[in-house]
Amino acid sequence: MKLLIEAIGFGIATGAVIALGAVGFSVQFGISNVLNITYGSMMTLAAFVGYAFLQLNLNVWLVMAVTSVIVAVASVVFNRLLLEPLKRRGTSFVGVIIATVSAGIVLQYVIVAFVGATAHSFGQQSGRTVSALDFVFTTSQLIIIGTTVVLMVGLHVLLTGTKIGRAMRATSTNRTVARACGIRTERIIDFTWLLSGALCGAAGVALAITTVSFDFTLGSSFLIYMIAAAVLGGIGQPYGAMVGGLVVGIASQIAGAYWSPAYQDVIAFVILIIMLLVRPRGLFSTGTANRRLANA
Amino acid sequence: MTTRHTSARPASSPGRRLRRVVAPVAAALPVAGLAVGSVLPAAASARPHAGGTINVGVIGPMTGPAAEIGTLMSAACQSGIYVVNKAGGVLGSKLSCDLVDDTGDPADAVPNVTRALATTSNLKMAVGLESNTAATTIPIVNNAQIPMFSTNGLVAFDKTTDQYFWRTTPADNQNGAAFAVWAVHEGYKRAAMVFQNNIGAQGNEPGVVQGIDHLGGKISINLTIPGDAASYSSVVERTIASHPQVVIVEADPQTAATFFSEYKQLNHGNVPPIVTGTDSLTPDYLSAMEKVLGKTYVTKDISLVGSHIQPGTLAYNTYKAALFSSPTVKNPSLVLGVGVISSIYDGIVAMSLAMDMARSTTGSVYNKDIVKVTSQSPGAVVVHTYARGLAELNAHKTIDYVGVEGQISFDKYHNSPGNFSASAFNADGSPRTLGTIAGSEVQKLLG
Repeated sequence: MKLLIEAIGFGIATGAVIALGAVGFSVQFGISNVLNITYGSMMTLAAFVGYAFLQLNLNVWLVMAVTSVIVAVASVVFNRLLLEPLKRRGTSFVGVIIATVSAGIVLQYVIVAFVGATAHSFGQQSGRTVSALDFVFTTSQLIIIGTTVVLMVGLHVLLTGTKIGRAMRATSTNRTVARACGIRTERIIDFTWLLSGALCGAAGVALAITTVSFDFTLGSSFLIYMIAAAVLGGIGQPYGAMVGGLVVGIASQIAGAYWSPAYQDVIAFVILIIMLLVRPRGLFSTGTANRRLANA
Repeated sequence: MTTRHTSARPASSPGRRLRRVVAPVAAALPVAGLAVGSVLPAAASARPHAGGTINVGVIGPMTGPAAEIGTLMSAACQSGIYVVNKAGGVLGSKLSCDLVDDTGDPADAVPNVTRALATTSNLKMAVGLESNTAATTIPIVNNAQIPMFSTNGLVAFDKTTDQYFWRTTPADNQNGAAFAVWAVHEGYKRAAMVFQNNIGAQGNEPGVVQGIDHLGGKISINLTIPGDAASYSSVVERTIASHPQVVIVEADPQTAATFFSEYKQLNHGNVPPIVTGTDSLTPDYLSAMEKVLGKTYVTKDISLVGSHIQPGTLAYNTYKAALFSSPTVKNPSLVLGVGVISSIYDGIVAMSLAMDMARSTTGSVYNKDIVKVTSQSPGAVVVHTYARGLAELNAHKTIDYVGVEGQISFDKYHNSPGNFSASAFNADGSPRTLGTIAGSEVQKLLG
């Protein structure tokens, strides 16, 4: 029982990182209708930008905040310079995905050109261990979990209780109608990329802290877990991505505790397959995003 | 003198390979999730003919997580061609290292090596061909009738029929048994085994199990872990609960750093001593582990076990001088400590001498002479350098090249495993020898 409780605790810590990234990914897709595979490389960029700031002896959490802002701006620029022109030219949904795949690879190699292919480390940022009721967390994990919770609550408030949030939801549901209602959808899209970019930046730094050592493949190798979480929750659904992240994180840690750890990662894909077979729309989907996928 | 065949695909760890296999099934989704970690190989770029130059193909991971190994291989090649060229080259031709990036991934290795063989003029010998890609690259090179000195540790090559294959390093199961011998020698009877799920790491596992068992030790837990996971907390907790005195581990720097960071956190700051392979004797590994466990720990409590090289011999000193003289070799002290890498230097010298003996650079002609220039035989003059060997051959003498790894003694499968040594990191990252383990002792454990 102790092992199970510990595994759930570890899973929550891992799931918080997955959720942080998955929510950004899901919001981006839900509102701007782009399945942005460059997201993984943006996380890698965040890790290296954070690493650079860390060399200035800044506090790691301040580094996370600054990096989030930088990646947020980079995301908007990326959307404006590459994806929006493609969409204006009528590039298909799949065509845009291919463009993001390509851009992700280019970004990876740009990162390699600057920092090399070797591993880097944020160092021992985890802090002391805190135990309660058989749960064991490091202070870093607690801060990451806390940050995730705060950002998720903030996102919820933004989406449900503010004018811009309602505009985002309207744009997500039907961009043409939203525009006809006077919503400046281009600005909403920009804001969405800014927001999701910030989450991507925070997730990249959180992941680099968690894994201790990382290289240029950090984000792209983690992307599939975020996709699994997003699909599990219902792609385009931020709340679903939160829950999906936790489920994937906890399931992989329980698998590591009770099954062969060699297959702890496989559990994410098993969940993904089962979900696609049983409930392709995901746990929380209203169907809009999935209809988009189906119509693509 | 180095040319480079680059790969367009970021190298992937076995964990990532696994993901590439599983992911397509997983969804009608993102074609993409997969493709981010991979792109199609780039179009071949033909190299101009290098007239008068004999190219040495250095086949290894030059990019990606295992790129440190490629750097070591390249350094060893540079030292090998340095001594050969300094002595006038082979049959009037100078040697040049030609880097062939296999990325550590068979999916990239096959096209990249095939392309290199097709487009590189005068590629007459090959070195490297490490475990992750050996099963796919060695047959290609063998079919091209190019003699090769491989650093791979696959047990499958203990009895290979590939006639152009040569190996002066031990198979992984022998390495694993040497880990066990060293752990028990250090007084640890209760060992936890943690091995990453890749070919190189997994090859050690049977040898450790057999070795610990025969030496009267106990394996507290035996775990295989995926590479580069975000967290190993549950696995670490199981390892701690087994109360090991020592952790015998084989994992890449990222994986090891994450694992032992969590070990330290969950075990109140305590981590038992670690025994691992000399392939971890890299700046990457040192840097990652030092940040997690501290400088004192990494210099005192990590033993790195692998092929033995004997400092102070003429061959060693020549190798060392070549490493330090070659302008392209970075961190020569580190390269010097990795025994398995010195086999590349020995291989280049041995193949060059075989070419001189055969008076031919054609693989199918000089291949049989490799064993002749490295065998103890009546009347054979023992030589430790290329220059001396060449002089003796020119004087129509029979020679026995005894290299950095000592006497070479090939069996009928072209294997000469040699002895083992344990090393540790110095504070500056250079290695120091802790002790040696006789190859015969290891062989005895494996029956």
